[in-house]
Amino acid sequence: MATIKLQQVEKKFGDFQAVKPMDLTIQDGEFVVLLGPSGCGKTTTLRMISGLETVTTGTIMLGDRNVTWLHPSERDVAFVFQFYALYPHISARENISFPLRAQGESKDVINQRVQEVAALLRIEHLLNQRPGNLSGGDQQRVALARALVRRPEAFLMDEPLGALDADFRETMRAEIKQLHIDQNATTVYVTHDQIEAMAMGDRIVVMSEAVVQQAGSPHEVYYDPANLFVARFIGSPGMNLVSSVYSQGVVSIPGTENRYSVPDGWQTPINETLEGEGQIVLGFRPEAAQLKTDGPLSGEVYASELQGAFSVLHVNVNTDDIVHIRSDRQIDYPIGTTLRFDIDPQMVRFFDPGTEAGIKREVSQ
Amino acid sequence: MEEKQTRKPFPTHILVFLAPAAIIYTLFMVYPLLDSLRLSFFTIGEQNQEIFVGIQNYITLFTDTNYAPRFLGALKNNLAFFAIHMVVQNSIALLLAALLASGIRGSSIYRSVLFLPTVLSVVIIGFIWQLILNPLWGVSESILEAVSLGHLFQPWLGLPETALITVSLISVWQFVGIPMILFFAALIGIPEELLEAARVDGASGWQTFWRIKFPLILPAVGIVAILTFVGNFNAFDLIYTMKGANAGPDFATDIMGTLFYRTFFGQQLQLGNPTMGATVAAMMFLIILTGVLLYIFLWQRRIQEIEM
Repeated sequence: MATIKLQQVEKKFGDFQAVKPMDLTIQDGEFVVLLGPSGCGKTTTLRMISGLETVTTGTIMLGDRNVTWLHPSERDVAFVFQFYALYPHISARENISFPLRAQGESKDVINQRVQEVAALLRIEHLLNQRPGNLSGGDQQRVALARALVRRPEAFLMDEPLGALDADFRETMRAEIKQLHIDQNATTVYVTHDQIEAMAMGDRIVVMSEAVVQQAGSPHEVYYDPANLFVARFIGSPGMNLVSSVYSQGVVSIPGTENRYSVPDGWQTPINETLEGEGQIVLGFRPEAAQLKTDGPLSGEVYASELQGAFSVLHVNVNTDDIVHIRSDRQIDYPIGTTLRFDIDPQMVRFFDPGTEAGIKREVSQ
Repeated sequence: MEEKQTRKPFPTHILVFLAPAAIIYTLFMVYPLLDSLRLSFFTIGEQNQEIFVGIQNYITLFTDTNYAPRFLGALKNNLAFFAIHMVVQNSIALLLAALLASGIRGSSIYRSVLFLPTVLSVVIIGFIWQLILNPLWGVSESILEAVSLGHLFQPWLGLPETALITVSLISVWQFVGIPMILFFAALIGIPEELLEAARVDGASGWQTFWRIKFPLILPAVGIVAILTFVGNFNAFDLIYTMKGANAGPDFATDIMGTLFYRTFFGQQLQLGNPTMGATVAAMMFLIILTGVLLYIFLWQRRIQEIEM
C-alpha cells in the first residue's frame, strides 16, 4: 500500500478544463471519497490516478514512484468500474484470476489467492458462473475480488455502487467499508452520493466545476463547510442559508423582525471579513434550529414533511428564503402557523456572500 | 362466454405481410432449387423426354472415367480455394480490422480504400490482374526487377502448380474488405470499460487481443467463416473471367462452379448435359448445406451458450 500524491494535476480535453490544477495527498491506508455533482472532474481525477487518462500537466506520485507517465498496467493500482466491466465470456473464477494470469503467476499462487478473496467476499459458490448469470451485487463482488486478488498499491473505485438497487447499495457499502478496514488499503472512491461519502470516507474531497472545494473529514465538511457550495451540497436537505445583513454583533434578516445575536467567538472574524458591517449569509443545519416560544427568529410554516423518525418543517423566514427545521414527528404544525426558534450557538455558521467562503470562528483558548 | 372473447381472430394480416416475400422467394429460389434437385434424378431421352434414372447420375459422377476425375479435382481445388481464403483472407482481415479499430490516424480512409476492390466488378478485377501478371506485357515482372527480385517472376497464372494459388490470392485481395468490416464492427462494439479493465489488470496488448477481444468477436468469426465457405463453394465468376470455363491450365483452377458450368452448358468438345449439370449443382447444394448445418448446430449453439 502506498501514499498517493497529486501535485498541480490538471486535465484539459481540448479547450475544456476538466480538472483545474489540484493538489491532493492521500495517506497510506486512507479511504478518500471524491464527491461532487456529475461533470465536476472527480472521475477524471480518478482516471488520471489509474493512468486510463493522461495528465495535461502535473505529477502523480504513488509511494515514492513517479507514475505520471506510466501505463496503467505498470502502476499497480486496481480499478473498480461502475458497470463492473467483467469479462462476459469467462467464469467468475477466470475473471478474478485474470490479472494474475496476465502477470504470469504460477497456478498454485493463482488458485490460492482466488480462494482467499472468494472466501473474503463470500462468493466461493459463484466461481464457476459466468458474469451474465450473476446479480448486480454479485457481479460487483466479483469485480472487487478481481481488484483485491492483485494486492495492488491502491484501489480506485468509480461509483461502484451506482448501478445497484437502493437497499442493496447499503449492504455493499458496509461490505466495502469492512473490506477497507480488513485490508487497510489506500482507497480512492468516486461518488456523487453524499450519504455514501459521509458513510464511507475517512476524508471527503468535495469537487465542483473542476476545482476541489473542500477536503476534510465527513464531520468537517458537514459542520464546517468551506463555502456555500459545500454547505448546500452536503446534507439532505442541505444547510439552511439565509441572506442577511450584519451590523454590530447582530444579524438581521431584511424585511422582517428577525434578529440573531452573533455568538461569542464570531464577532472578530466577521468584523474582519466584512470590515464592520454588510451582507452576510447565515447558515445552520436543520437539526441546529431549536423551536422555542421566546426564540429570536420567527417564520411561517409553509410545508411539513414526515421523514419517519422526525419531521422536516419548511419555514418561510422572509419572502425569499425557506429554511428547513427538524422537529418532533409527534407534534403537528399546521401550515400557516407562525413558529419561533433559536439556533444552537455551537452550530451556527456564517458566509461571506461576496467570496462565498465560510467565515472561520475564532479558536477559543 | 369469456373464452369466446379471449379467442383471437385468425391473424390474416400476418399472411398478407408475409405473402410478397414468400411468393417471390418460392418462385425464384425454392422452386428452381427443388426442380433442379428433381432433374438430377432424370436423364433426357431421344425424344427429348425426361426419363427417371434414380441415382444413376450420381453414380456416373462418382465413377465415370470422364466425370469422376473432374469432379474430385474440382472438389479438391475448391477445398484449397476455401482453405486459402480462410487462412489468408480472414487472418489479414482480422489484422486490418484490429489496426483500424485501434484508432489509427486516417482509419476511415484506409477502410474505404481496403474495401474498394470489393465493390469493383469481378470482370474488371480479373482483367486487370491478368494484365498485371501477363508475362509478355504485364507490369509485375518489371516491378520485381526494379527491386532486384526479377528472378522470382514466373507466369503464375499459367503454371499448373501456381495458378490456383494465384487466382485464390486475387480473390482474397478483392474480398478481404468484407470480413474486415465485419470484424471491425464487432471490435468497436466491445465496451470500452472491458478494455480499460484489461489495461489496469496489467494485460499486454497481445493478451488483451487474444484473451478478451478475440473471444468476444467469436460470433463475427463464425459468420465470416460460414460466409467464406458459402461464397467459395459458389464461386465461379473470377475464374471464368480469368481462365475461362475450362479453368486451365489443365483444369488446375477448376472448382465446383466452373465444373457445373461446363457440364450443364457444354464446352468445346463436351456436350451440354442438363441432368448431369443438375447433379453437380445438387452436390454443391449438399456440400454447402452440410457446412451451414454444422455451423448452426455446432458453432452457433456453443456461441450462444458462451454469450449467456
